[in-house]
Amino acid sequence: MTTSPHARSFAEKLGLLNEVALFDGLSEADMAAIGHATTMTHCSVGQQILSPNDPPDRIHIIKKGRVRVYRVTPDGKQLTLDIHERGTILGDMSLLGQSPLPEAYADAVDDAVICTITPDQLRQLIERFPTIGVNLIRHLSHRLQAAESELESMAYQRVDQRLARKLLDLGRRFGSPTARGTLIDARLTQQELAEMIGTTRETLAHTVSDFRRRGLLATTQHRVIIRDAERLAGIADGDGSD
Amino acid sequence: MSAGRGLVEVDTSPAIPAISAAIPVVSAAQMAEVDRSAIEDYGVTLLQMMEQAGSHLAEVVRVEIGGDLADKRVVVAVGPGNNGGGGLVAARHLTNRGASVRVVLARPAMRMSEAARHQLATLIAMGTDCCVATYDLSDEELEHVLATADMVVDAVLGYRIHDAPRGEAERLIGYLVRSGRPIVSLDLPSGLDPDTGEASGAAITAQATLTLALPKSGLFTSAGAARTGRLYLGDLGLPSVLYTALGINVGHPFSAGRIVRVDQTA
Repeated sequence: MTTSPHARSFAEKLGLLNEVALFDGLSEADMAAIGHATTMTHCSVGQQILSPNDPPDRIHIIKKGRVRVYRVTPDGKQLTLDIHERGTILGDMSLLGQSPLPEAYADAVDDAVICTITPDQLRQLIERFPTIGVNLIRHLSHRLQAAESELESMAYQRVDQRLARKLLDLGRRFGSPTARGTLIDARLTQQELAEMIGTTRETLAHTVSDFRRRGLLATTQHRVIIRDAERLAGIADGDGSD
Repeated sequence: MSAGRGLVEVDTSPAIPAISAAIPVVSAAQMAEVDRSAIEDYGVTLLQMMEQAGSHLAEVVRVEIGGDLADKRVVVAVGPGNNGGGGLVAARHLTNRGASVRVVLARPAMRMSEAARHQLATLIAMGTDCCVATYDLSDEELEHVLATADMVVDAVLGYRIHDAPRGEAERLIGYLVRSGRPIVSLDLPSGLDPDTGEASGAAITAQATLTLALPKSGLFTSAGAARTGRLYLGDLGLPSVLYTALGINVGHPFSAGRIVRVDQTA
């Protein structure tokens, strides 16, 4: 899928791209502590969580339930952008160096619990949990590199490189450690994975089985386990040997 | 229009010519290889192909709706993949050409392929009416929107899907089928196995189908042909040497036009 960087930023401008992994690497206990340090709101079905009129710089983390993010068109119609589940961060991403979702609203699809963080609270959290600061730095630097690496990735890299890069990215965001390696805890069809890296399902299947044969990954029940992140990173960087 | 001085009088009536020679049919695996080669070996982008597909699709809708799009109500049903992306391009062309277009997405915008999202962003910026089934429309509203359509475009699933439709796609296909409205399908009627033409679950029966680049073999089986309706073939402009390299003898199917009618019984 060779979308140009220009095209990508256009989609981004319209709020069609938006991902942050701020709380990666924190324990359940840390997360509980963060929950205590911030405002928790219980929302019933249909209750509004986010609107363009909200005070700026706030972010919201879904602790429970599902949340629908949508835009409202000038004639008052809604367009659902995404359905988010537990763990997702919503809100004014300018705090995280990301352009805010333009004109974004959110409401609860079912009973939800939302944790809201102000800029001051985030500063305090970073002091207390340096991992959050590290994640923030990683996120910002990733964004700086994103434009260049996207161009390279989509236009010039081979499929194995793009797949390696995408798997490492998914591992960072959805990964949990297991005895066999990092389990990417997201059900992904081969079609979805193929679309993410802009190739066909057939080519993807071939590349996945090649990676499996080389001991780089294992697959179990539609989930991927990264067996050898180091070699995978080598492929992602374009090491010719692998 | 009268011929001007020095102009040769020509017959411009056949809007879409019938194909003159036999055309090879391809399996889904062969088509996937064609797509892969176009992108990886020849630098054709997915967005380029999608533009061709959607532009031709709008033209086929014009023909199937009776010749003029002005003020016709068209509902474009859009799946999450690149077939859906073609539908979104068609929605843009249909809007530009005077139709009143309503886009119904099977899935939330962010759960669509990147290229489809790109097309959707353009439609949003244009102010085209886009909504997601289930979340933005009640069942009754969706039924009403479909019931009042002059034509429904089926861009839900493409040739890469072999299994019975599931989840949001299955639901949307169900609404299209129950509406009883005339349907134009992109590439193949959603729910059909591209190789066998069999439907193992919910499936569209189309008034017409625009298939892309080369016809999929499932459109020619008795089960497939029964659901395809009039079959059109649209040119994606892929480099013709690509087919030679893949051992597919294509000839020049588009010598008479970039969209051609294909007779499944031939």
